[in-house]
Amino acid sequence: MTDIVAGAPTRPRRMGFLFALLAIGAAGCTLPAVVQSPLFLTLMTQAAINAVLATGVGFLVRQNGTVSFGHAAFFGLSAYATALLIKFGLPAEAAIILAVALPTLFALALGVVIVRITGVAFSMLTLAVAQAFHELVLKWRELANGDDGMAIAFPARVFGIDMATFQQPASMFLVCWVALIAVILGLWLLCRSRFGTLTLAIRENEERARYIGYRTVLPRAIIYAVSAAIAALAGLLFALYNGFVSPGTLHWSLSGEALIMAIIGGPRLVWGPALGGVIFFFIKNAAGDFTDHWPAVIGITLILVTVLLPRGVGGVLVWLGARLGGRRPS
Amino acid sequence: MVINILNGLVYGGLLYILAVGLVLIFGLRRVVNFAHGSLFMVGGYVAFTVAAYSSFWVALPVSIVVLALLGVILDRFVFRPLQHEDPISTVLVTFGLLLVLEDVVKTIWGKDFLSLAAPPLLSGTVSIVGETFPVYRLMVIVVAVLVAAGLSLWLRFSRIGLYVRASSVDPVTTGMQGVDTDRVSAAVVAIGAGLAGLSGTIAAPLMALSPSMGSFILIDSFIVVVVGGLGSFSGAFIAALLIGQVHNFGIVYIPWAASLIPFLLMVAVLIWRPTGLAGGRA
Repeated sequence: MTDIVAGAPTRPRRMGFLFALLAIGAAGCTLPAVVQSPLFLTLMTQAAINAVLATGVGFLVRQNGTVSFGHAAFFGLSAYATALLIKFGLPAEAAIILAVALPTLFALALGVVIVRITGVAFSMLTLAVAQAFHELVLKWRELANGDDGMAIAFPARVFGIDMATFQQPASMFLVCWVALIAVILGLWLLCRSRFGTLTLAIRENEERARYIGYRTVLPRAIIYAVSAAIAALAGLLFALYNGFVSPGTLHWSLSGEALIMAIIGGPRLVWGPALGGVIFFFIKNAAGDFTDHWPAVIGITLILVTVLLPRGVGGVLVWLGARLGGRRPS
Repeated sequence: MVINILNGLVYGGLLYILAVGLVLIFGLRRVVNFAHGSLFMVGGYVAFTVAAYSSFWVALPVSIVVLALLGVILDRFVFRPLQHEDPISTVLVTFGLLLVLEDVVKTIWGKDFLSLAAPPLLSGTVSIVGETFPVYRLMVIVVAVLVAAGLSLWLRFSRIGLYVRASSVDPVTTGMQGVDTDRVSAAVVAIGAGLAGLSGTIAAPLMALSPSMGSFILIDSFIVVVVGGLGSFSGAFIAALLIGQVHNFGIVYIPWAASLIPFLLMVAVLIWRPTGLAGGRA
């Protein structure tokens, strides 16, 4: 049994990955044309948004070796920023850009403080941060309408695109799917870059990286901010799609679900968490009859995957692929 | 003013009893039990049910014993098998347990708020500098002080306390000296879980019982443990008193931002001392 965060992750090298990703991306884009069921497309749109969030959480595990229990903070802050900035009279376009930029900058500032804390204490801190924001929007009723949440007053057109594009499952699925593929591609390139290698080195042995002469806090804070930016993007997609935001977007159960998706899919792979997100939604669909006990179902799934498949489903696929390809599996 | 400070001590006391359990378990197993808030909640609910058939005074020990047994099971089937894995594996498994326990409680006791009355013996009030204050709340402070005193005496003077302190510093070396760390750990996790049961039971008359009561106090006790310095008993004590006070003053004077204050305090402490107030071991 191998560890979830320790050990070298599979380093993306091969161009084959690029072609596979683009092929899957293109195949996904045909989905709304093939499947007509609005229910299925709604489910897949939600799955794609959550897969983006899970990709952010998983990237932090992969690149920094730290587990965040609070990425809902950036997801929810982004959704609330969209709603509040529009409410305070900003143009929707500016609000949308700031909705990703502000949580990212906040994460960078916070990251400089909290990435110094490693291991389990880091996880506890991220959870505390997210929960503090959850309580804030819940209690500060004048600002954000508390538990009732608030509707977002989008104009009819945003960036010259009809708002309906973002609120119909068929078209929104395409937007989310393209965003997901773009995020995975971007992270893949980042992992291949010098910066990606440096952060992996810091993850493996921070002290040694410091002795070689690298600064170690800022790179990790940047990775934290990148991963938060992805979560914020997911929050923005959520806000566009639903046109509504509630404190649930900041709740730790969302952070937990995103983390569970990442663990199911395999956080050591850039694309693992996204796969986990899709699998998660199929489990959720299959568990339909047990929706009252949904938390217990995901809790048990998390325990089983952690104990039995620490590399996640993605890790198993890579292992199988390596075997079938005749290479010695690592 | 005095009343506010006392109320802060009440919350700080509850947090201390919970956080010190986390510290004990961390010392032995090097993991943080994310299900600790759920143990607190289960403690409250068990006490509620037992008290419905008997009295608060029966419910209190029963809840502690039930939770201590749960702790033994937790140690045997979660912490021990996973002790050679990455600590994150244990965190994820206890997080899964948290979800399961919350669901179990929801299924058995329902989603509605339940309340457990304070025992008649302690239901009166006393007058402190001209204002009235419930006797029950004073008792909570007394219990917290007794737990702190008892634990520090136990850790300092008993043989198993010596083992616990030794294992907290270095479990491997302690094991090499012939100490059965698995047995020590089972006892320690049982005590930690039993304290969560105690905390949940004495908190029950102060707050409504609900399936989400575990999560918010878990967050505050995490802040206590991190501010105090992960693994430090005295750090947890000081941090719990501090967080109890700022939490309470926040609720009284700036209610909308009350939840942010412990968090800001935590960030300030971490900038000042990244390993917490007691520092050093994390």
